Amino acid sequence: MKIKRYRRAAQLLTVFAIFFIPVLNVFELYFIKGTFISMDIGDAAMADPLAVFQSMIAAGRVNEYMLGSVVIPVVLMLLLGRVWCSWFCPYYLCAEFMSWMRGKLRMKAYKPKFAENIHIKQSKVRYIFLFAGLVLMAVAGVPILNLISAPGIISTQAMVLVKFHYVTFELVFVAVLLLLELFYFRFWCRFLCPTGTFLSFFRSKRGMTVRKVRTECSDCMSCVRSCPMMINPMTMGDTSHCNNCGDCVDACPDNKKEDTLKFTFK
Amino acid sequence: MRNRFTELFEGLLNSNPFKNYYKKNRLRPPGAANEETFMELCIRCARCIEVCPYDSIERADLFEKLQIGTPYVYPENKACYLCMRCMKVCPTGALNPKLTDGKHVRMGIAVINQNICLNFLYYKDEMTGVSSTGTAQLCGTCYNVCPYTDEAIVMEKFILPVVTDKCTGCGICTEKCPATPEKAIAIYPEGMPVDKNTGYFGRRSKVHGEERKKSKDALKGEKLLEEKQKIDSSDAKPDFEYNTENYDQEW
Repeated sequence: MKIKRYRRAAQLLTVFAIFFIPVLNVFELYFIKGTFISMDIGDAAMADPLAVFQSMIAAGRVNEYMLGSVVIPVVLMLLLGRVWCSWFCPYYLCAEFMSWMRGKLRMKAYKPKFAENIHIKQSKVRYIFLFAGLVLMAVAGVPILNLISAPGIISTQAMVLVKFHYVTFELVFVAVLLLLELFYFRFWCRFLCPTGTFLSFFRSKRGMTVRKVRTECSDCMSCVRSCPMMINPMTMGDTSHCNNCGDCVDACPDNKKEDTLKFTFK
Repeated sequence: MRNRFTELFEGLLNSNPFKNYYKKNRLRPPGAANEETFMELCIRCARCIEVCPYDSIERADLFEKLQIGTPYVYPENKACYLCMRCMKVCPTGALNPKLTDGKHVRMGIAVINQNICLNFLYYKDEMTGVSSTGTAQLCGTCYNVCPYTDEAIVMEKFILPVVTDKCTGCGICTEKCPATPEKAIAIYPEGMPVDKNTGYFGRRSKVHGEERKKSKDALKGEKLLEEKQKIDSSDAKPDFEYNTENYDQEW
């Protein structure tokens, strides 16, 4: 059984949840409530850590509600790595769909050649973008990075669509990103997405990571080619770039004979 | 560690054109502190909008600049009924979750326009002895619908509604006020008692009034009177029998 199937199922389930949770709330069933910026399941509150961090900076104080809502995402991040991005984020699913579309349209996207230090360049852009956003946010005094959080926009718009029967122009932002996705290979997730960047601060090497278990393999590099984050899964599985999507584990031909590339806990 | 540079930096952060950009006041959901703190804390997760059972809380649109996605109440459409659900779900405390009793809510304060309110007009006519409008109508809707009757709105001289400090600013009086096209009672959001500063709130209220003026479906003036005069109950008889047997009995 391929990991991709489980992943697709989780992604489709989240897309279903995006529309189903507001419907439940319209019928006044309040067990699960919220959007993907912040959500309540029963009494357990969850919130996007970046969103909460922004309001901490802007307000200059911390209260127990903020800390309480960040606990679950951070623990999940420490245990399982950046699974939010690849397994649940609705934008990631759309981006994968655009890659598939690109194949159908026989277009060639701008995809740089793999190099060992490419992740350092990616890191620079990511952190500079996040830092610039935070500075701008401090100047404005308003958590504005939420306004460009793609999964947040998608789920809020779904809620507005279900409850008030209209959508707002914020959806155009996501549409433009998805169009650009056709020409630049995964540029948003790799370089810019502030939520993903902030989540990767909580990446722990002791959590779930992709590792090469055997010392030698056939060196076919198919895992490197399959990686959407443009890293080498054999050596860089424990860096903050890896989002544990499992595409490399699926792609590895050696796995059929003997376990070579695997998800492991340390 | 306070020198010129830190003060300059602080000044830049605390008073720049961006900072005042959003200072157009809205009526925020119950439990919100002042506008500045609310804007800093609110992460626009839309949970309060989702949980509101009356659809009172609306979501600010893209055109409201930095306020995009923030919740607000527009009492002329739908007032807040103080069910106290929204503050329990707020993940950052932008709406104070410790608030459980509707009595302590201070969203704003209701202000009565004495030139429009029917009761005030009636009282003036009564004092002068001349009817300025040609009609004499008494209303008292705001007094009746107020969730804290006789506390938030009291009737002075038995006919003049007067708002006290205990007003929660929920806006039910504004929603139900029968005066057209402009409502005789309006909510000024907390900390914005001046009409000019209400910004978007005030502007939209004006537009709303004009729209209502134009609408053809609404009955008004003489048409409404005609329509009401058709209602006739002179020949009507009750379809149940009077039970007069026990009338003389002592209770």
